[in-house]
Amino acid sequence: MSMLEVRDLRVAYGAIEAIKGISLDVDEGQVVTLIGTNGAGKTTTLRTVSGLLRPVSGEILFDGQRLDTVKAHEIVKQGIAHSPEGRRIFPLMTVEENLELGAYTRKGDSIAKDVGAVFDRFPRLLERRAQKAGTLSGGEQQMLAIGRALMSSPRLLMLDEPSMGLSPIMIQLIFETIAELKSTGTTILLVEQNASAALALADVGYVLETGRVVLSGPGKELLKDENVRKAYLGED
Amino acid sequence: MTAAGSSYRRAVGSQARVVALAGAVLLVVGSVLPWARFSGFPGKMTLAGPGGARIGPLLLALVAALLLRQVPGSARAVRAASTFAFLITGLTVFFIGYSGGGADYVNAGAWVALAGALVYLLGGLGLDPSRPASSPPRSLPDAPWALPAEWLLTAGSTAVALYVFVHGLGIQSANVGRPNDVVIRGAISINALTNDGEFLAFLLLLIGLALVATRLGLLADLSAITKKHPTVFLAAGMIAATAFPFTQNGNGYALRIAASIGVFAAAAVGLNIVVGLAGLLDLGYIAFFGVGAYVAALVSGSVTSTIHTHIPFVFVIFLGAAVAGLFGILLGAPTLRLRGDYLAIVTLGFGEIFRITANNLDGNSGPSLTNGPNGVSNIPDLTIGSFSFGDNHHFLGVDLPFQANYYWLEIVVLVVVMTAFLRLSESRIGRAWVAIREDELAAAATGINTTRLKLLAFALGATLAGAAGTVDAHVVKVATPDSFTFLESALLLAAVILGGMGTVPGALVGATILYLIPEKLRFLQDLRLLVFGVVLVLIMRFRPEGLIPSSRRKREFHDDSGGADALSMPPGHGEHMA
Amino acid sequence: MQTFLQQLVNGVVLGATYGLVALGYTMVYGIVQLINFAHGEIYMLGGFGALFTYTVLLPGGTPVVLALVLMLLGGMVVSITAALLMERFAYRPLRGAPRLAPLITALGVSIFLQELVRNFYPAKSPRPFPQLVDPSHQFSLGASVEISAPRLLTVVVAVIGMVALSTFVRRSRTGRAMQATAQDPDTARLMGIDTDRIIVTAFVLGAALAAVSGLASGLQFGTVDPRMGFLTGVKAFTAAVLGGIGNISGAVLGGFTLGIVEVMATQYAPDPFSGGAWKDAWAFVVLILVLVFRPSGLLGERVAARA
Repeated sequence: MSMLEVRDLRVAYGAIEAIKGISLDVDEGQVVTLIGTNGAGKTTTLRTVSGLLRPVSGEILFDGQRLDTVKAHEIVKQGIAHSPEGRRIFPLMTVEENLELGAYTRKGDSIAKDVGAVFDRFPRLLERRAQKAGTLSGGEQQMLAIGRALMSSPRLLMLDEPSMGLSPIMIQLIFETIAELKSTGTTILLVEQNASAALALADVGYVLETGRVVLSGPGKELLKDENVRKAYLGED
Repeated sequence: MTAAGSSYRRAVGSQARVVALAGAVLLVVGSVLPWARFSGFPGKMTLAGPGGARIGPLLLALVAALLLRQVPGSARAVRAASTFAFLITGLTVFFIGYSGGGADYVNAGAWVALAGALVYLLGGLGLDPSRPASSPPRSLPDAPWALPAEWLLTAGSTAVALYVFVHGLGIQSANVGRPNDVVIRGAISINALTNDGEFLAFLLLLIGLALVATRLGLLADLSAITKKHPTVFLAAGMIAATAFPFTQNGNGYALRIAASIGVFAAAAVGLNIVVGLAGLLDLGYIAFFGVGAYVAALVSGSVTSTIHTHIPFVFVIFLGAAVAGLFGILLGAPTLRLRGDYLAIVTLGFGEIFRITANNLDGNSGPSLTNGPNGVSNIPDLTIGSFSFGDNHHFLGVDLPFQANYYWLEIVVLVVVMTAFLRLSESRIGRAWVAIREDELAAAATGINTTRLKLLAFALGATLAGAAGTVDAHVVKVATPDSFTFLESALLLAAVILGGMGTVPGALVGATILYLIPEKLRFLQDLRLLVFGVVLVLIMRFRPEGLIPSSRRKREFHDDSGGADALSMPPGHGEHMA
Repeated sequence: MQTFLQQLVNGVVLGATYGLVALGYTMVYGIVQLINFAHGEIYMLGGFGALFTYTVLLPGGTPVVLALVLMLLGGMVVSITAALLMERFAYRPLRGAPRLAPLITALGVSIFLQELVRNFYPAKSPRPFPQLVDPSHQFSLGASVEISAPRLLTVVVAVIGMVALSTFVRRSRTGRAMQATAQDPDTARLMGIDTDRIIVTAFVLGAALAAVSGLASGLQFGTVDPRMGFLTGVKAFTAAVLGGIGNISGAVLGGFTLGIVEVMATQYAPDPFSGGAWKDAWAFVVLILVLVFRPSGLLGERVAARA
């Protein structure tokens, strides 16, 4: 049984259907990536999994349990963390406060230890721990967003476009971080426009187009697929 | 409620139709038998008596015949009919018993009808409440007589509307109350309640019939037809409105009310330009109306005016409009760049400043101009040339009281405001306003000068209100600060919202309902604002597009996103107007 | 100079009332971007709840301090109940609706509550309020500046309430969650914060502080009136905007500033626009000027951050 199963999911904004029947699986320990152009439904899929949106039909199962009727704030407790598109850090709170909010559902002393672990992973954040998060650079905000998501000790980490709007050096750093997380066995559902980097890293990839899965398979194979190369890797 | 309802429907099952039909038959029988044993209650309870206390249940019972031939929506129509038939019958029986002084005064017919109505209701509630799939409005068959028939329907519908209005106005209080009136908590007088019973029954009948027509799709069909012939519709409406004073037999009461509704409606349509078209929530609109009223009061030769001058009315109306418009620009220019809810509060503040200032400019607390709380009174009757609006007339063998003059003047003002609204909403400017309302940033990005257009809407609304104010000052003959409170602004806004933002008929219907119902239902007078507060909340909750929505608004409001559960709308949806 | 100092004290007293009510506006606005127009009525209900507790529930001869505490509790119960009901049945169903829909609803709720009390609370309007704290008892503040006992009490409870709220929001876990929800509600849910509960919390805290203010006004003026919420409400909203809406310290600062400006304008405005008759007009002039020239308020950063 997969850790996360999405079955024939349909999501609509009013009369406009953004997702027209998507199915996908994420197995424990895997990195799964969703690629596709703007409007393909990648972000909508993540937002539906984390409960911010409600599907019109279809179901989402986590460890075999229905997830699509659970409220967003309960879903975190079940072990799913979502680092949203555009980073969405809390701009008026300090770096440290942001991280502590990531552990909102947890209680106990281990929180301080995990804050330390995030600082070990991203030393830049340690330098800025008492600074308002809104004053950080884009790359630092992205580190903070990932760190904050890790603070809930998730079993499934969902990252939405972590490389968006970042400099090449930052992008490299972010992907190194994801690779590191993968090597420690973290299960990751990654949404990316940077298809080559994402597919190179992923165990499984899904290609989304206008709300449907048009192609799926192991990341390395998709990377070699002619259509994928044409459409998403800018080759003709 | 829904769970209980569906289990009830399962229990009644297929018997519902039979039960409803049986109840309806019983109700028909009951409604042709005499209801009261005394002559006091409205119209002696003759079948055709005013108010529809008996004709109403009869009509609504006949709706049950729909069950014999299944048409789309018939089940829901019969549900509505049975509910309202029961309400009217029950209320009337209560009123008869109460005004007579006991159950003895209720005659057999009423009991039969009540039993029938109950059975009808029980059957009706057992019917399937699900909404049929929506279908496009039907139209008449393509035949040579179709066009004249459509004209006839269009004109006929305005005639029916006029008849309903006149009839409703004509229902007088019965005054059969007993001397020992019971007053509940200082608010509801049982006597007043009884006296208003007849109007209430009439109102319920109207609502019931309107629901039946809506559920059968008849209203949609009719409005599709009238939309095809706007000229016929307008002409018929004009004729009906002009003819109204001739139906009143020299009685000025209804004309006075109709004239007041006219002013109220004109102001509501003006506010609808600001709120409905441009999406600017103005909570101080009555102040602009007040500016016009005070201008007219001060320069029209009133003995109490502090400015002893008399300018002819044809100039005063423009002066009042101009001064109000100027205030609109002065207030709007610096504040219109604020976001919607802040603007609302600024306009509220302006409205209060106007009222306080009018109160204070009495020569004591401030310069002498407005006579303070006493206001400017004894405003003389309007004269245009040698024609005085204070004279009664006799025309075509009908007595026309002086109120008719003012009534017609109001109609002219209303038509001017409506024309302005309609021309604007179809124009480039109107479309730009809608664009601003939907998404100001995007509108600005397409090259619309949003600040100037918002100011135009604001100033135009103020100007129209000022003009309406000058007329109103002559109708009510006095201008006092108390007439221009925040509550008046809120009432105008409620009229616009209740009727439907962005449409002329909406503002008209809203203004009529909000003015007429408290006027006719005196037991509501003290509770009028209470009810009105609840109505605002309920409308925003269940029908934010109003009773007569503009088609695009309806889409806006019912286009709820898949993330209805989400706390905030996606970016760009935050600013646009309700 | 003596007049000036005395008026300054008067302004601070007035400002304390505004500040307490302004906190409710600012919290709710900060979290759901709703001008809860009916919050002034919550303040009014607090006063009536306290009056009802005293006249109906308390036996004669209850010690003054105990009576005051119980009246405050009674006022809070009424205010909080009303706030909970309006949040649940009027506002919550409108989440995600176009922005002005809830504002119109708020208007409806405000009118409804006012009329409800006016029509159904027994006895004539305005209702006399027990003078439990003797208003003729004056405390001297030096330089022949004085403050009466109920007015001093108003300032004291206001400051306590403000400090308590500010500490709660900055230090407690729920307070943090409130800040997070105000800054980004969707992301707050991703952190596991039950935003519905946070919104309810904001309404409840605002109502509790408004009830404090309602009781204080009753003691100060010796009456409560169903209409008292409207003006105070609009002015408190002004105070909230003046301080920077969404900002807790801003609401307090705005409240005191507005109170002082109002009192000073009444005293020192050029003739003939001075004196009590123009008091409210000046408050509204301040409102308009603030919104025009500094819509983000004195301490406002939230508006910019969330525009």
